Formats: sequence, C-alpha cells, structure tokens
Amino acid sequence: MSGPDLSVKIGAMAMNNPVMVASGIFGYGDEFRGLADYGELGALVLKTITREPRLGNPPACRTAETPAGIVNAIGLENVGLDAFLAEKLPAAMEYETNIVASIAGETPEEFADCARALDQTEVAAIELNISCPNVKKGGMAFGVDPEASAEVVAAVRAAAAKPIVAKLTPNVTDISSVAVACETAGADGVSLTNTFSAMVVDVERRCPLLAAGMGGLSGPAIRPAAVYRVYQVAQAVAIPVVGMGGIWNANDALEFILAGASAVAVGTVLYADPAAGNRVLAGIREYLDRHGLAKVSELVGSVSIPHTSG
Amino acid sequence: MPGSQGRKPGGGTDARRASAEVLGSERLPGDHQRLLLKAPQVARQAAPGQFVHIWCHPPDEIGRPPGSALLRRPYSISRLRPPDGVEILLRVRGIGGRILSQIPKGRLLDVIGPLGNGFRIRQSMRTAVIVAGGIGLAPVPFMIQALSSRLARVVLLAGAASDGKLPYRVEREPDKPASLPVLASLGAEVEFVSETVEGTLVSDLLEQRLDALDPDSDEVMAIGPRAMLKRLAAITEGRFSLQVSLEERMACGLGACRSCVVPAANGAGYKTVCRDGPVFYAHEVDWERLQP
Ligand SMILES: Cc1cc2nc3c(=O)[nH]c(=O)nc-3n(C[C@H](O)[C@H](O)[C@H](O)COP(=O)(O)OP(=O)(O)OC[C@H]3O[C@@H](n4cnc5c(N)ncnc54)[C@H](O)[C@@H]3O)c2cc1C
Ligand SMILES: Cc1cc2nc3c(=O)[nH]c(=O)nc-3n(C[C@H](O)[C@H](O)[C@H](O)COP(=O)(O)O)c2cc1C
Ligand code: FES
Repeated sequence: MSGPDLSVKIGAMAMNNPVMVASGIFGYGDEFRGLADYGELGALVLKTITREPRLGNPPACRTAETPAGIVNAIGLENVGLDAFLAEKLPAAMEYETNIVASIAGETPEEFADCARALDQTEVAAIELNISCPNVKKGGMAFGVDPEASAEVVAAVRAAAAKPIVAKLTPNVTDISSVAVACETAGADGVSLTNTFSAMVVDVERRCPLLAAGMGGLSGPAIRPAAVYRVYQVAQAVAIPVVGMGGIWNANDALEFILAGASAVAVGTVLYADPAAGNRVLAGIREYLDRHGLAKVSELVGSVSIPHTSG
Repeated sequence: MPGSQGRKPGGGTDARRASAEVLGSERLPGDHQRLLLKAPQVARQAAPGQFVHIWCHPPDEIGRPPGSALLRRPYSISRLRPPDGVEILLRVRGIGGRILSQIPKGRLLDVIGPLGNGFRIRQSMRTAVIVAGGIGLAPVPFMIQALSSRLARVVLLAGAASDGKLPYRVEREPDKPASLPVLASLGAEVEFVSETVEGTLVSDLLEQRLDALDPDSDEVMAIGPRAMLKRLAAITEGRFSLQVSLEERMACGLGACRSCVVPAANGAGYKTVCRDGPVFYAHEVDWERLQP
C-alpha cells in the first residue's frame, strides 16, 4: 500500500510521519506499553530529566481537571540522569521509532552535562525544556527571556552533536523572539507550546486546589491559543516547528500543520485515549488521500490569511 | 470506532483496554449506582483492591474532545459475576459519576483495567479482618469473595456516618450487632456501626478486637476515609500487618504521569497510588506526611 509521503526531518532526525508524543505525558514510555502501537508514531519524547533526581511538587493534589483541560503541577519529578541512562532509556529504546530525550536544568551547564551524556546514547534528538512553568528556580527563567534561552541552546550545541529542539513556553509576550533566539543559537527545531500557567481555587477550603499553588493548563482548552503561537513562530523561523497543545484528533493536528508546524505532538489526550496518536496519524493520512496530496510537507504553513482592510 | 480489531478501541494491542457492555445499571440508596459490565479481560485477571479506569463518554466518540470529564475515572472492582461480569459500585459525587450513573443498559464503556496492586493474601494467613468506611465498602464484596474461599475466617467491620449513606440494607436485631446481610451472605462475619445509631467509629471496633487477634496469622485490610486509615495505622503499628487502599487524583492511571503520588516511608520519595498501590502495606506509607 503506497500512501502519501508523511516523512519529516528535524535536523538529522528523520521521522516516518509527523505525529509525536509530547514530553511528560507517558513517562519514560514503559508504563503505556501495549496500549497502542507507539512504534508507529514519528517520535516519542520522554519525560524531562534533570542531572540530579527531583522529587517534584508536593502531592495532593498535583493534577486537576478543568473545562476541556487539566492543570498539572508535577514539578519535574524525575529519576535523574544516571538512573535514566541505566534503567529508563534502554526500555524506551525498545520502541521501533525515534526516541527523544527531554532535559531541563537550573543552569546552562546542567543542560550541557545532560546533553553530553545523551550524545553518547541512541536517542534521536534532545529536547530542551526551557519552558516548564512549574519549577520555581528552573525552566521559567530561561524560556521567558530570549537571551537566556539562547544561552542554554548554545551550551547544549557545544556539548552535543544530536539534533536539538527547544521547547517554548507560551507564557511570554513575544514568543517569536524567543524562537528566533533559539534558532540563531543553533537549535534544529522548536516545539510549542508547553502548558499555560494556571490556577484552580478550592472555594470550600479557600485555598489553591494544587498543592503547589499554581500549575500549567493543557488539553483542548489551550488549542486555539497554541495554534496561533505556532503560526507566529513559523512566520519567524526557518527551522521546523513541532506544534502541540490540546490536539485531540486529526483535524486539530491539521490546524497546527496548516499554521506552520512540520510535526505535531499529542499530550493530554493520551490520558483519555492511549491510542490517540495512531488515530491522529490515520486521520492525517486519510485527509491527504481525500485531498489528493502526495506529501504532508505540502500542507505545512499553507493556511492563507485573507487580507482585510481596516 | 477507530481501529477495527474487534472490540478493542484504537487498535491497541493491550488486553487491558476494552469496550465493555453495560449489562445492568441499578440505583441504590445513598446516591449509589451499581453498574454490571461485561469485561472478560478484567474478570479474568482481577484481584480484589484493583481498579478500572473508565472513560465516561461513548467509546465511539473518543475522537471528539469532551467539555467535561476529560480524564478517565478510577473505580474499584466491586464484585465479580462469573463468567465475565464485573460490578462497579459508584457514589455519584461529580460530573463523571453522574454521566456513568445515567448510561443505559446495552451501551458500551471504554475501560482500562484491571490496574494497580490489590490486597495481598499471605500463605500463612488464617483470618482477614476487613475494616471499611463509607464508599470504602465498594470493593468489599470482591474482597470477601476472594478471601472467604481461601481463608478460615473473614470478618468485616463496617462503618458509615448514617444508615442512609449506605448502598446496602442494614439489619438490626436486639442483642446482636448490626449487620449487612448482603455482605454477610458472601461469607463474612459482619459487624456494622453507624455514627448516628451506635455512635461508634469503625476504628474503635477494631481496637476493641485487636487483643483477640493473632499477629502471625491474622491481617487487617482497610479501605475508607484517610482519617480512618491514619487511625488504623496508629492502632496497628508494630503489632499487626495492615494493608490499606488509598485514593488520589489520577490522570494516566498507569504510573507514568506522577499525578497520584503519596509520600513513601523512610524518606524514599513518592509512590504512585495507581501503579504501586492503590493497596499498600501501612509501613510503606509515610503517615506523617500523608495529606489528610
Ligand atoms: C483507586 C481508586 C478507587 C476508587 N474506587 C471508587 C469506587 O469504587 N466507588 C466510588 O464511588 N468511588 C471510587 N473512587 C473515587 C472516584 O474515583 C471519584 O469519586 C471520581 O473520580 C469522581 O469523579 P466525578 O467526575 O464524579 O467527580 P468530580 O469531583 O467532578 O471529579 C473531578 C476530578 O477529580 C477527581 N476526583 C474527585 N474525587 C476523587 C477521589 N475521591 N479519588 C480520586 N479522584 C477523584 C476525578 O477523577 C476528576 O478528575 C476511587 C478512587 C480511586 C483513586
Ligand atoms: C502531566 C503533564 C506532565 C508534563 N510534563 C512535561 C515535562 O516533563 N516536560 C515538558 O517539556 N512538558 C511537559 N508537559 C507538557 C506537554 O508536553 C505539552 O507541552 C502540553 O501538555 C500541551 O500539550 P497537550 O495540550 O496536548 O497536553 C506535561 C504535561 C502534562 C499534562
Ligand atoms: S495517575 Fe499517572 S502516575 Fe498515577
């Protein structure tokens, strides 16, 4: 069966198709094993790791459901670089597709240390989580500032030859300027968006529902806001853009692609439908067939905005 | 339905996810609803204390984002109805429970399970004392089913704020402790107390009986409100093996997202309720740091 050409490249990472799993959603990959054919997807991004293990935010509660979304404050709980390399990565590598490691740190050097170690592994690319809004001292400081973001990218670029994707936070005034700074500093791609900073109040107890106070909103609630940011960034950079934020079905994914994303990632939807990525992929294929398109790349950024006079 | 591998939504390869037919749905007192699902994959593998993670909307609409009840809902396996029936007993509290309680017979539900670790039955065990409070009674029928076939004796100490909060009929006869006949008939000696009638907490019941138990062969298994579990952990500490079932808000239900963590004993970080639990030995949990 020769279908349309779905392949995508981000730097040297070649993907069979543009559908990825977003970081943090399915841990290090093992827990969801068997609930869908994840090997069929273009790439799987694992939970963000840091050089040292992190306990994350206090429990009870860390995730709250909101209209068409969830607010999470996991706080980058992770096993740390050493345990990741020894235990988690080998299991994830059993998936027959690109495995992308996601890293964070409190200094550019911490990012670089992780990247240097990952450069010796089989991971297909390294995603830099400069945008996680949950950690007081962590990601936020880099991702909101173009210069600080560029510093992280440059430090990792110097430490690793693998393709680098910078993951952007939407919690900024001008996301394009951060994207451009990352591109200039040597990123092979940018991914967006991470979660939108958010708060849920328990009115009976008169305190925040999340133990951390605030968290990050994901899911369908953020989709239009994320699509617009992808559109803005795609206008500003030449490197591939990975679009995400509330994707639930192929139609949603195509919105991101038409707005300028070369690839897309599914996140929150996997908690409802662990096979959502496969469903999205099948739908994109069906769309290309229906519109007689030979390549998904023909669609990227092809949304046309009518000029209105005002 | 996306994918076409029989009844398996999304074409997944995992036997843990299936579309289960609702064979029956029954309103019970105290805002409870009992659902009978046809779920062979759950019935075959389930241990008491395990749960299922249910998508509240029609399986064939999973490709459309719902405005509410976006996450699956965790419910204990309440009882097995051989050969392939699985009962869920839910108390309607929020939107997810309301949707599930209104699903008519014959419809399908997208169910992942059985998930988590259930109650463990040691080789040397002779008597199990189940202590259950409130909605903690949901998995008790399955526990009695499984325990009474393997142990010499199963005792159920059950408590509720009032009789009306229970899904079961309370039997009160002079000079005898109150009982729950439905559960007694499954093979347990039942003693029930309500705070409004007897004015006793179920943890007090256990305390009164503790001296008569043998730490080598008897074990306490508890499920219910945190305050009750904390009290039981304090009463039994160093004397009896206690297993507790904990609840926490979940997203994945699979151990991946770290939403549902509870503090582990001895500063050993966090454990997930969904995968490491929901049943823990009391000594695995840091009760000081566990949120009320
Ligand atoms: C392992 C486990 C087993 C359970 N077994 C049963 C059972 O057999 N019968 C029963 O009636 N209930 C059980 N619960 C509680 C049940 O999951 C919640 O009542 C249900 O999720 C509430 O959803 P809702 O939409 O009706 O309420 P809402 O308040 O609208 O829910 C909002 C969000 O909070 C979550 N949430 C609210 N209360 C709880 C809670 N107590 N525990 C976990 N998440 C919660 C929901 O899942 C949802 O994500 C169990 C919980 C766990 C963790
Ligand atoms: C529970 C949870 C944990 C997450 N953890 C991470 C993480 O470790 N690193 C990261 O870069 N993004 C993390 N994210 C953000 C997602 O990767 C994604 O950017 C975001 O959820 C938006 O996509 P969605 O709406 O499809 O979920 C997390 C999101 C959720 C819901
Ligand atoms: S709910 Fe995701 S780890 Fe338990």
